[in-house]
Amino acid sequence: MHFDPAILVDYWPLLLQGAWLTLQVSVAALLLGYAAGIAVALIALTPGWLPRLVAGFYVEILRNIPFIIILFVVYYGLPFWGIRLPATLVGTVALALFASAYYAEIVRAAILALPRGQFESARAIGMSPANAMWHVVAPQILRALVPPSTNMTLTMMKESAVLSSITVPELTYQSLVVQGNTFAPFEVFAAVASIYWLIAAAIAEASRRLERRVGAVQAEAVSRNRIADRYLSLVARRT
Amino acid sequence: MGFKLDYLLSILPRLISAAAVNLRLAVIIMLLALVLGTALTIVRSRKIAAVNACIAVVISFVRGTPLLIQIFIAYYVLPAVGLDLSPEVAGVSAIAFNSMVFVSESMRGGLATIDAGQIEASTALGLPPHAIWLKVVLPQLFRRIVPVLINEATIVVKGTALLSVITVVDVLRTSQQIASSSYRPFETMIGSALVFLVINLAISLSGRLAERRFAAARA
Amino acid sequence: MSAVPVLRVSNLTKRFHGVTTLDQVYLDVHAGQIVALIGPSGCGKSTLLRCLTWLEQPDDGFIEVAGKPLGRELMPGGVVRRHSRRQIDALRPQVGIVFQQFHLWPHMTALENVVRPQTVVLGRSRDEATRRGAELLMRLGLADRMDRHPHALSGGQKQRVAIARALAMDPALMLFDEPTSALDPELVGEVLAVLRTLADIGMTMLVVTHEIGFAASLADRIAFMDRGRILEEGPARDILAAPKEPRLQSFLDLVRTDHRIVRTTANPTE
Repeated sequence: MHFDPAILVDYWPLLLQGAWLTLQVSVAALLLGYAAGIAVALIALTPGWLPRLVAGFYVEILRNIPFIIILFVVYYGLPFWGIRLPATLVGTVALALFASAYYAEIVRAAILALPRGQFESARAIGMSPANAMWHVVAPQILRALVPPSTNMTLTMMKESAVLSSITVPELTYQSLVVQGNTFAPFEVFAAVASIYWLIAAAIAEASRRLERRVGAVQAEAVSRNRIADRYLSLVARRT
Repeated sequence: MGFKLDYLLSILPRLISAAAVNLRLAVIIMLLALVLGTALTIVRSRKIAAVNACIAVVISFVRGTPLLIQIFIAYYVLPAVGLDLSPEVAGVSAIAFNSMVFVSESMRGGLATIDAGQIEASTALGLPPHAIWLKVVLPQLFRRIVPVLINEATIVVKGTALLSVITVVDVLRTSQQIASSSYRPFETMIGSALVFLVINLAISLSGRLAERRFAAARA
Repeated sequence: MSAVPVLRVSNLTKRFHGVTTLDQVYLDVHAGQIVALIGPSGCGKSTLLRCLTWLEQPDDGFIEVAGKPLGRELMPGGVVRRHSRRQIDALRPQVGIVFQQFHLWPHMTALENVVRPQTVVLGRSRDEATRRGAELLMRLGLADRMDRHPHALSGGQKQRVAIARALAMDPALMLFDEPTSALDPELVGEVLAVLRTLADIGMTMLVVTHEIGFAASLADRIAFMDRGRILEEGPARDILAAPKEPRLQSFLDLVRTDHRIVRTTANPTE
């Protein structure tokens, strides 16, 4: 067999439409999911045992079930409770729900990593919990949030491929449509994989810029000796 | 129409027996990923520029594209190049390949935490490279990345649900078949969600116990 | 001496997992007084300060700041009414606290550390808060350090920023948790001088310390705490010269001996 990109000429617009929807859905789920994640993290950090338990269940349940099943539970669950929404919206909500559990853990871990005295000194001087969070805690955890949140957003963007199974016309769905019309799987999936790759690269680049703006800490290079590097390092030493 | 708990309970046995498929595939995938991931790590440690450049591209591809697309590639593209695999084999290969990369990447992180002095000492004692890998580096490395591997195992179990899309009759596909005749898709899906929840919680829990064992053994 | 004390603590009790850390503590601090709270480590001194700022909720007892109840109050008929979070937050600026580790906010400059709580909590305008903050920092000798972030300040400077941050809220009372312990020993004199200037402007202070010398040269009154109770309280001179409580006597003996040992080892020729 040979690679023939000409096969796709008629189908590029379809794939690009799909890619655009993938991007839109991912951004919407990022915003929605992060808002929910912050809320869950704050609930998980309240002193009472009941809210903490509820937040813990939320996170554990969503993290231990495959996203495709979360998607179907939401897809069949909403009509079950009398809510009818277009598939794209259902998919976005499910994706946000899925991501929120991971974002919640990221936010919670970042807050817990901050010395307790920071929040306490703000409370002791009379700031409300919300003000203490906003003025004292939030600005300090921002940098720690960027790298893990980027990773999760990449994962979430990739999981959005699963929305094809409830007929959301995003990139993967369109690739299956094109595949059905052309019977040229090699060309189709090479093209689609490249587009996903580009989106992932774009997200990574956006994160790098954000990181530079909030001044995230750079990991220090570990310096070792040559003999140990033969086994313990996978990158060639720069001299 | 209310939630029918008795219906949910009645289908659970069928879902649980279907879970055997997911578990069997997950175990095969994990074993493949461990072996291949270790091999990949050792190859990368040779630091042959051309090889590592190719591997870097493969890693970036695996990390930058959805697992579902990788499964489709194994399912649709491999037959076109003459590799006619059954859906199960195609799916297992795709997830194992994906997981191999993640195993190797976590090994890269784990290697950085191993004490350099031991390698120097082993080299000075004249141990051959394969002995250094097998006796010195790998045992410590595996112990160190146990938490990551446990996490990867739950990711693999979740990944097996995607194989329903390429007609593997797993928990999800079984529940879809059940739902198409019972017209109760919501309860059915809740059932398969429960099955995965129990499997993955069991894996995480046993992982935590194993970790504590290791920690105690080292102390 | 005015009739209403600036701080009145009565029957304050706090238990952690069944262990009684504060055991029916009674303490009055009157306007303009400096009270040093001394006692062995783990005696409940720090817990008392945390309760006075409501960072820890006492299980029993009452706190009054300038006549106003904090946290809970006794209503006519013996009913205890618990205050809402808002009520507690509203009274908190009245009790300024300087933590052992200062807990300055590292993402803000020294001046911003002092300005932000004023605008957020007291609703002061930025201009007014900045004026007040700059004035306080200047008085504490930090005129040329206002635009620095905490990491670029010495320990003593950090402490003075923390003091200014609390003072800017116009508190009725200042609490200090071990003000000398996070600093180099040679800075003790400096801390003493700063606290004396606060005394000069009539600030009421409760200072937790384990350094008897520091307490002796600073405080008007000394309260001795052991095992969660205040065992003896009185004018500093009397307490140190003629302790009545046997546990206070042995505590004083102990720290004085310690002190002498430290001195002799530090200056063997002396």
